[in-house]
Amino acid sequence: MSQHKSSTFDRLTERFLRSVAGHVSRRNLLSRLGLTLTASSALPLLPWAKDAEATPLSHQKNGAPTPFGASAQTSDDQRCDYWRYCAIDGNLCSSCGGGVHSCPPGTEPSPTSWIGTCFNPGDKRSYIIAYRDCCGQDSCNQVNCLGTDGDQPSYRPQANNDIIWCFGTSSQVYSCSTAAIVGSAS
Amino acid sequence: MKATKAGAFVACLLVGGALIGGASHVHAEEPVLQTEQSDTLTLPPAGPHRVLVQDAVYEHAKDGRIYVVDADKARLMGMVQAAYNANMAGNPAAKAFYVAETAWSHGNRGTKADILATYDSRSLAIVNDEELPGRALVTPKAHNLQISADGKKIFVYDMTPGNAVHIIDANTHKVETSVDIAGCSLIYPWTDANRQSGFSSICGNGGLVNVSLKANAVPTLTHTAPFFSPDIDPVFENSPEAAADGQAWFITYSGLVWPVALGPDSTVGTPFSLQKLAGQKPGSDAKNPFDVAWRPGGWQLAAFHRKTGHLFVLMHRGTFWTHKAHGQEIWEVDVRKPALIRRIPVPAPTSLVGITQDAEPLIFTSDDQGDFFILDAKTGHLRHKMPHLGSSLIYTLSSGE
Repeated sequence: MSQHKSSTFDRLTERFLRSVAGHVSRRNLLSRLGLTLTASSALPLLPWAKDAEATPLSHQKNGAPTPFGASAQTSDDQRCDYWRYCAIDGNLCSSCGGGVHSCPPGTEPSPTSWIGTCFNPGDKRSYIIAYRDCCGQDSCNQVNCLGTDGDQPSYRPQANNDIIWCFGTSSQVYSCSTAAIVGSAS
Repeated sequence: MKATKAGAFVACLLVGGALIGGASHVHAEEPVLQTEQSDTLTLPPAGPHRVLVQDAVYEHAKDGRIYVVDADKARLMGMVQAAYNANMAGNPAAKAFYVAETAWSHGNRGTKADILATYDSRSLAIVNDEELPGRALVTPKAHNLQISADGKKIFVYDMTPGNAVHIIDANTHKVETSVDIAGCSLIYPWTDANRQSGFSSICGNGGLVNVSLKANAVPTLTHTAPFFSPDIDPVFENSPEAAADGQAWFITYSGLVWPVALGPDSTVGTPFSLQKLAGQKPGSDAKNPFDVAWRPGGWQLAAFHRKTGHLFVLMHRGTFWTHKAHGQEIWEVDVRKPALIRRIPVPAPTSLVGITQDAEPLIFTSDDQGDFFILDAKTGHLRHKMPHLGSSLIYTLSSGE
């Protein structure tokens, strides 16, 4: 997909989501769930173009589009500089009895997430990462990280890592965050 | 052995008797301490240096709290709960202040309740607990709970995940209405030159939605055209604003400051670069993220002193995408010129900067150990350090702010 096509798709998707958000009753649970599911399935497609648009090749370092990617490592998913954690904010589930894409026992993965685009120094490719929160227990507080690559304020919720992404879970109490690969951005 | 034990016993009796005799002698000279009744103190009327300090307690956010601090004496005066990514609003010198919080009936589960708590500013007693239709659950952001300049309306931002603002009457504590602001977030209240009031929110396209409120009328919405690029150089949510003037200073990740006169049709002014005011080249945006420069960053990253028009911004050395890094200096800027007044080193890297609104202002900062620092704003010198006031100090709210 070319950058131009992706940007057009991006705008259309954003317009569609705004249209849905603007016309559904917030108090209607089904509408809320529908919007959530729509958003969660569509939003992973958004940041790819943003990242490519943001960093021209001339300003990349060793193929990495951001400083985080240029110094990231690929072997230890319990450290904050692990390549997938470029936009993570919170406790690493991998340090709390879960895994890089698995929730610890006693918690529940959120069906929604925020999205980042992270550079893997191992294969020199960028990947779309869904940061899904695990919910239902209090903060597990082992390894706490704050990756801010592509992190935008909450008026761009799909790229904001401050929101408690526990929409659609039985409890909205935040425990930790995972980082699942949901696609290639290269 | 027996003789030795008996001797020791007699000696003990003699020494004990002497001690008791001595104690009796003291009692004869000192008045007997009076019995006491337990009571609860009430705070004295607030001066300009009373400040509310929010502790998010990130490691167990259900236990968040707000401290009431006398910044002249560096003394904790009291505290209230502020559970789970709470927000605070109001004025510690006014009759009441507000806390929006969330709790579950069984701790981490059960029925969820989003509450707007109204506290008496002097007794710190609950005046009212009002259950809200909802509130955004997000790491606390000051502009998710705001109060109108006249103190009559309270605004609560909600995201479920549709976007809305609930408007609460401060007297009745009841939700008057809810306004859907599709695709937009946060609350920046304003009063314009015609005394019309309302609020604006930032939209995902880089523009604003402006919501006008009139008595007994349905709120009306207008949109301000996009003026910044959220992908390339977003504006900080914690950009400062003076509701009474309707003047906002939207600071971008790169270091631009957009002056915006908020109102029914908000007017966007010409941006200036913080770095250029310091004789440096403007900070790069997301197109050149490796460029190291002085940049704005933190959480409560800026504060505004309304009477002087001075903006205080936390700055650090870093690349783009370091917008949440702690500040190493405070840059004081006169936004009316605009001009850089001076650069103030902070006692420790800090995510917050606060300022009191009086003529002898104090600056507040914190650190990762939960220490709270109080500086003289005129000299930039440290006046007090309150060691470990809390654990995650993220916001201050002072009188008249």
